[in-house]
Amino acid sequence: MSAAVAEPVAHYRAAFEAASTDHAGTAAQRAAAFERFAALGFPGTRDEAWKYTSLRRLESRRFPVRGAAAPAPVLPAPLTAYRLAVVDGRPRPDLSSPDRLPPGLRLRGLAEAQADGESLGALLRVTQGGGTERFAALNAALCPDVVLLEVGEGAAPEPIEILVAATATEPGMSHPRLVIRAARGSTARIVLRHAGDETERLVNSVVDVEVGPDAALHLYRLLDPGTRVFHIERIEATVAQRGTIFTHDAQLGAGLARLDLNARLVAPQAAAELTGLFLADGVRHLDTHVHVDHLAVGTRSLQDYRGVAAGRGRAVFNGKAVVHEGAQQSQARQTSRNLLLTPGAEIDTKPELEIYADDVQCSHGATTGQLDAAALFYLRSRGLSLTEARSALTRAFAGAVLSRMDHAAFAGVVREVLDARLERLLDTHP
Amino acid sequence: MLSIRDLHAQIGARKILKGINLEVRAGEVHAIMGPNGSGKSTLASVLAGREGYEVTAGSVEYLGRNLLEMEPEERAHAGVFLAFQYPVEIPGVNNAYLLKAALNAVRRQRGEAELDAFEFLALVRDKMQLMQMDESFLNRGVNEGFSGGEKKRNEILQMAVLEPKLALLDETDSGLDIDALRVVASGVNSLRGPDRAIVMVTHYQRLLDYIEPDFVHVLSDGQILKSGGKSLALELEKRGYDWVRQEARVA
Repeated sequence: MSAAVAEPVAHYRAAFEAASTDHAGTAAQRAAAFERFAALGFPGTRDEAWKYTSLRRLESRRFPVRGAAAPAPVLPAPLTAYRLAVVDGRPRPDLSSPDRLPPGLRLRGLAEAQADGESLGALLRVTQGGGTERFAALNAALCPDVVLLEVGEGAAPEPIEILVAATATEPGMSHPRLVIRAARGSTARIVLRHAGDETERLVNSVVDVEVGPDAALHLYRLLDPGTRVFHIERIEATVAQRGTIFTHDAQLGAGLARLDLNARLVAPQAAAELTGLFLADGVRHLDTHVHVDHLAVGTRSLQDYRGVAAGRGRAVFNGKAVVHEGAQQSQARQTSRNLLLTPGAEIDTKPELEIYADDVQCSHGATTGQLDAAALFYLRSRGLSLTEARSALTRAFAGAVLSRMDHAAFAGVVREVLDARLERLLDTHP
Repeated sequence: MLSIRDLHAQIGARKILKGINLEVRAGEVHAIMGPNGSGKSTLASVLAGREGYEVTAGSVEYLGRNLLEMEPEERAHAGVFLAFQYPVEIPGVNNAYLLKAALNAVRRQRGEAELDAFEFLALVRDKMQLMQMDESFLNRGVNEGFSGGEKKRNEILQMAVLEPKLALLDETDSGLDIDALRVVASGVNSLRGPDRAIVMVTHYQRLLDYIEPDFVHVLSDGQILKSGGKSLALELEKRGYDWVRQEARVA
């Protein structure tokens, strides 16, 4: 192992050892997870899954783990009646809604779940493969708690928001871990919002999702922390028979963000509708990797992503669908549309299909372009300024994804963030 | 109002306008006719400020200002309106949004207060009735999925809402059936007035049955070869364009 790899790992090992006094009852799983992280180390530039995203800057940082006593951050207004606040990876009832959790939902922490006999192996599961396995393992080693949210069988609870934030003003790292289980026949809408300020930090998040038979889970994700934040997230979804996961992603923030969204369609007619929008302006680097495994007959997946880059922003989209042997009559559709607003911006997109079954319907397409000159002239000839015209066309481009975000408050706040950012960037880059 | 002198323009190395001279005064309606490729649409595009055309000589003065130095939106603010030959489809940009943004941009320039949503709707409803357009058009994307005739009606609707001083109609009659042509023409005619000028570019005389011009000009190979009254259009319809060209060669 080279010094360049060993040194950052040594920092995390020290952090792990310091945290291990809190790991009574979980020590074996955590040690195994940490060793998995240590073995994988930070990705090198030759690592295909990190081809366009360098973590050199992150490697050089020595972020401390934030303790439980840290001061509370200022939180944005809630998007749903019930909010659960998670700060530095710990649920904070004092910052959550005073009301009771909506009926149909159950919420537990790691200790309680363990006492109830929940399998630790499941709660701290590290799935293999993909570019972020190392960070999922690090998360399993260092997460101070697990937020276990369950949707009861046949339940259709009110939507809730899980707000993930980190301690204000102090640099540090946090490893929030969320496990969502949607039981058979349930329907739930969960907003996952990552907020943050301009303090430098690492947020290494894991969201483990199980969608039961005939269940529908809608996950609305907004990532909007400041430009000094490193945000790495791995969302693992396993979908059972006739279950569906819907994800609506707005990856608008952090300075460097990497999302791996992996959906495993493990039983017949399981489905995943994964849609998203990313906006890499300024010096932001936003990387989205989506991977769908079709493992059973009649499974369906859709990946529909739109990206915008401006300034010196850079965005990466890698969408992959694998139709495994035996997954006949499956459908996989992928679309990646991208818009470059300024010459210095860059978007690398790569839709991939791997098909090992012969009776399937698959399609994929990717485009990257600029605003349409004819449309710009048309709007200007009607009196809109160049900035207004560019803004209208960019919002129209993003609107195709926004219009699918069927949670009004969530779509509203995404639109607000987007409008404010577009106004600023179009003023800076006329 | 509009004074075009010796205007030369080209796309790349291809010379298209080769010395256009045209005077348009307030209250006048001019028809510019000519065969395909004569430069009619280029003239309209250059006047509206479309990119891609290089003006190599000549001048265009509009209400005392150098039109060619103005950005497309400045021209719009100053009262120039181009009804496009091929209106652009812009999915995701709402028709109502465009109309309101355009109207308020023009009103700001005129020193008038912006309209609120109610005043705007009242005004637009009126104009939509004139253009026989259903209100549902307002909530659709700009020209998105519109038929050819609907697009042209939408152009004239925008014109009726914006009330320009100088309206340029680029082949507004093309692709219209006779009923649609009547509606479009009545929209244009409703805008005729002593303070306003209209310049229509058209291939066919048919439009002029409905929008009667004060002057007719024949454009061929980038130059105006002949100007006259409405009767010239009828003569062109009967005899074609060749005799004008021959006459010009002889002269």
